[in-house]
Amino acid sequence: MSFSELYFNVDHGYLEGLVRGFKGGILKQTDYLNLVQCETLDDLKLHLQSTDYGNFLANEPSPLAVSTIDDKLKEKLVIEFNHLRNHCLEPLATFLDFITYSYMIDNIILLITGTLHQRPITELIPKCHPLGSFEQMEAIHIASTPAELFNAVLVDTPLAPYFIDCISEQDLDEMNIEIIRNTLYKAYLEDFYKFCEELGGATADSMCEALAFEADRRAFIITINSFGTELTKEDRAKLYPRCGKLYPDGLQLLARADDYDQVRNVANCYAEYKELFENAGSNPGEKTLEDKFFEHEVQLMKNSFMMQFQFGVFYAYVKLKEQENRNIVWIAECVAQRHRAKIDSYIPIF
Amino acid sequence: MGSLLRSEEMTLCQLFLQSEAAYACVSELGELGLVQFRDLNPNVNAFQRKFVNEVRRCDEMERKLRFLEKEIKKDGIPMLDTGDNPDAPVPREMIDLEATFEKLESEMKEVNANSEALKRNFLELTELKHILRKTQTFFDEAIHDPTLTDEAVGLLGEEIQRAGQALKLGFVAGVILREKIPAFERMLWRVCRGNVFLRQAEIETPLEDPITGDQVRKTVFIIFFQGDQLKSRVKKICEGFRATLYPCPETPSDRREMAIGVMTRIEDLNTVLGQTQDHRHRVLVAAAKNIKVWFIKVHKIKAIYHTLNMFNLDVTQKCLIAECWCPVTDLDRIQQALRRGNERSGSSVPSILNRMHTKEEPPTYNRTNKFTEVFQSMVDSYGVATYREINPAPYTIISFPFLFAMMFGDTGHGTIMFLFALYMVIREKALQARKIENEIWDIFFNGRYIILLMGAFSIYTGLIYNDIFSRGVNIFGSSWNPNNKTYSEHVLEGWTTIKVEPNETCFKGPYPLGLDPIWQHSENKITVTNSFKMKVSVIFGVTQMLFGVALSLLNHRYFRKPLNIFCEFIPQLIFMCSIFGYLIILIFVKWTHFTSKDSSSAPNLLIGLINMFLMTYPENDKNPSVHTFYPGQKGFQIFLVVLAVLCVPWMLLVKPLLLRHWIRHGQQRHAGTYYLLNGEVPEVVHHSDNDTEEEDEEEPFDFGETLIHQGIHTIEYCLGCISHTASYLRLWALSLAHAQLSEVLWGMVMSTVLRMDGLYGAFLLVPVFTVWAFLTLIILVVMEGLSAFLHALRLHWVEFQSKFYTGQGYKFMPFSFDNLMDYSLEEK
Repeated sequence: MSFSELYFNVDHGYLEGLVRGFKGGILKQTDYLNLVQCETLDDLKLHLQSTDYGNFLANEPSPLAVSTIDDKLKEKLVIEFNHLRNHCLEPLATFLDFITYSYMIDNIILLITGTLHQRPITELIPKCHPLGSFEQMEAIHIASTPAELFNAVLVDTPLAPYFIDCISEQDLDEMNIEIIRNTLYKAYLEDFYKFCEELGGATADSMCEALAFEADRRAFIITINSFGTELTKEDRAKLYPRCGKLYPDGLQLLARADDYDQVRNVANCYAEYKELFENAGSNPGEKTLEDKFFEHEVQLMKNSFMMQFQFGVFYAYVKLKEQENRNIVWIAECVAQRHRAKIDSYIPIF
Repeated sequence: MGSLLRSEEMTLCQLFLQSEAAYACVSELGELGLVQFRDLNPNVNAFQRKFVNEVRRCDEMERKLRFLEKEIKKDGIPMLDTGDNPDAPVPREMIDLEATFEKLESEMKEVNANSEALKRNFLELTELKHILRKTQTFFDEAIHDPTLTDEAVGLLGEEIQRAGQALKLGFVAGVILREKIPAFERMLWRVCRGNVFLRQAEIETPLEDPITGDQVRKTVFIIFFQGDQLKSRVKKICEGFRATLYPCPETPSDRREMAIGVMTRIEDLNTVLGQTQDHRHRVLVAAAKNIKVWFIKVHKIKAIYHTLNMFNLDVTQKCLIAECWCPVTDLDRIQQALRRGNERSGSSVPSILNRMHTKEEPPTYNRTNKFTEVFQSMVDSYGVATYREINPAPYTIISFPFLFAMMFGDTGHGTIMFLFALYMVIREKALQARKIENEIWDIFFNGRYIILLMGAFSIYTGLIYNDIFSRGVNIFGSSWNPNNKTYSEHVLEGWTTIKVEPNETCFKGPYPLGLDPIWQHSENKITVTNSFKMKVSVIFGVTQMLFGVALSLLNHRYFRKPLNIFCEFIPQLIFMCSIFGYLIILIFVKWTHFTSKDSSSAPNLLIGLINMFLMTYPENDKNPSVHTFYPGQKGFQIFLVVLAVLCVPWMLLVKPLLLRHWIRHGQQRHAGTYYLLNGEVPEVVHHSDNDTEEEDEEEPFDFGETLIHQGIHTIEYCLGCISHTASYLRLWALSLAHAQLSEVLWGMVMSTVLRMDGLYGAFLLVPVFTVWAFLTLIILVVMEGLSAFLHALRLHWVEFQSKFYTGQGYKFMPFSFDNLMDYSLEEK
């Protein structure tokens, strides 16, 4: 195991090379500078043609809709990801599957919330992320309680073990769905963290850091969002993923927090989070905490590319690409709605 | 010829085009293909340029064409490719084209939507038909098969009894994709806790998906259950798995009636579908006739607007300013094209072509024809020649096939190669028109002229080596004849092999062409051919390198760098001649001055060369191989070695020291320095207005850097001379390998069978010949041919071109519709 770097390229060298090549296609700062100057979506399309995206919109009749761009962006990511997934060997295969689980969780929650609001399933399906689709997904609306959801739909999916903790919930209402989402996420992150730790080597180094950050971010966001809701502190504490840097002391402090300032005080104990909270705010000119987190994530993911012979690059690529999609869609929305004031709040990657 | 020796003289021109005439002019220039436009607005975004709307309209037209093309391909209608090349349409016509495409596209879309709806209808009906047919068997089984009935009763019996007669089993029937069946079944079981009964039957014929047109396999299922709650659940699951449910009457008679109704409706639909398909087909066939021409037209329009986007608008907005590189000799043709463009657009103000002076390095443009093209591209793939530098391509035309043939020397193999290439050359037009999309074929086809020459030269070297499929032929009768006294029949019969003493056999003078066939049977054949081929390799190698050095003289003279002649060319020439030139002379001396009688006492060349450097000249050695060729050899050789060694510091130090001296002493000689250093003085005189700033741009003289640079060159050259000479021995090595390989193949395969007696051998000859012929073709002609090609290529790129070729230019890429079409074809 200590020589895993030596054999890495035998099994995963091709894909690592491929993903590093894909990384070269991620838009640069200059591309963004050009994109924000666009007057219409057709301009946007014209400029994207000169980047790595090539002719991905060539067969779409104008006028373009933002949702078409979004779909095509996702489609491109999914094609690339599936190419990687189809060519990989263990343990990379499991690793890539782990990446898709988070999209599955989001899809499940989306579908349940949708059915709760009496939306027809056919309308909801296109909104699901294609990376997280699974066979039983469309039949999800038959479930009316978490137990049913588990027994009928999720028992065959890889998410089944994460769901065990939620079965006790009584019925599916808004609050419980959020609790289910966070419990699932917590179990998923902890499992993924454990898996990466077992892989060891450089993969563990880069991935554990990324997942720890993800876990801490969730803990912060859960706490901040829980203010003013019926969620009790004990229930809230149960939702914190226990694999981040906040565990165990920080989480205990967070569990006791009553308002935003107390959360900030907790963050102040940790150098990397202190910085994020310091100049975040919702006033114009300031970046929101969410954006700050995204920025930090992008930084982490970029660092992941500095190390070789590890799986972190695959995770990093998917995350960076997702961020890029968010950026493009944001710019496209701003262009389409002629709302240029905030067009610069994208998060540049390179 | 001048253009092949050096690249075309280029000039930077400024074009002033009237706005209304610009389109027509650029179109004419595109047809001409002699002008390379420079992008004058590199900092402007693609979507902020002037003609971006037109480009976008072209994109849109292309999209529609691609859509049409996809539909045409889907229906398998052949697209007519007449190969004609329509002119770029005038901008007015663009609107017509757009309208045509728009109409076609909307028509197509309508037809597609119609046929999709019809097909969906058709699919539903077929599915229903299958359901009725399959479920019929389910119901029939239940009635006729007593065991199944019992079982069914057994399974459901308890509940029925419990619920009483009033409770009826409900059922739904539908169709689902076959691959979804297992998950579907499992979920049904889980959700309904096993309280449903599912029967399924596969539909044998694949059905067509109305949207994608793919063939999909589906399965009919029927689910029995009881109670409304279960019904709603089952329906939800079916919906979730995208199963289509159909009403299925409960009584057999109703089912039969429905089946008949469905059948008639299917038939009706079939006729309607047929009509829609016919209509679609007619539209597509009409489009297919023109689609290639449309593609070309749209490509041309798009290319023109792309080019126009690179132009600058002048202040008055009346005209467009372009900058372009073009060959000086073609200025007239370009002027003519501009005039034609003006006439076409009816503009009154003529376009103006203005030559500009610039310090920028012009692109390298070598005019080629279909014969020289391949040789030029071989040189270009090493590096595009620096502007106006000697182009090695014309020499390569002869030297490349010749060096190849020295390695591939076999008349038989050469003939095969020659005939293959000859076929490609003669059927050139027909083969080109066929457009075979095969990378390997393309490589051979593009190299047909080089293969032709390689084959022809191999036939010649094969004759010299006297090798035809590794056999020698006795055309003129061997000059060697065993003398009857020494080699009586009696003696000859006793030996399988015999060493023929040249002095004792009758020698009728040299064999007229190449190697005497008697060597084929000689024990020491390899020794002789090795010695011959090695010497020939060195002679040709050193000659080619000396030729390369001589070409560098032409470069120095052309670029007016006399310093380089005195400090590089002359010492290089002396260095090479005093070592390897001298060696060649010795080779010839050895060939001409030693006959078979005294050949055993001839001095050895290799040992001689080594001793020349070690300066050891043993006086009274018994061994003849260390003897000298002539009296005074010792003194002369020492002189040569000293001369060669002196050349090294000459090459290394003189130029940097001289430059430093000139820079330090006397600004009055400044101009002279530049003249000697860069040879640019005569040109600088022309553009007086730019002179001052250009002087400033010159890099300051750095002695250390110059010295290091010169040192690298010197070391490279001196070591290169030695290693490159040795490298040319690959000519011998590959030739030996080729000859031996073909001989082994003959000996192991063919000759074993030829030696067999009787009918058996005759019959065996047929398959064995096939094997031999196959191996000869694959291994000896194709594989050995490729390896000899690679080695010949290396000898040219490294050994030959390193003596004079810098190859730091960039290629002239004219704006040409022809290139554009090729490119767009390749893209597909």
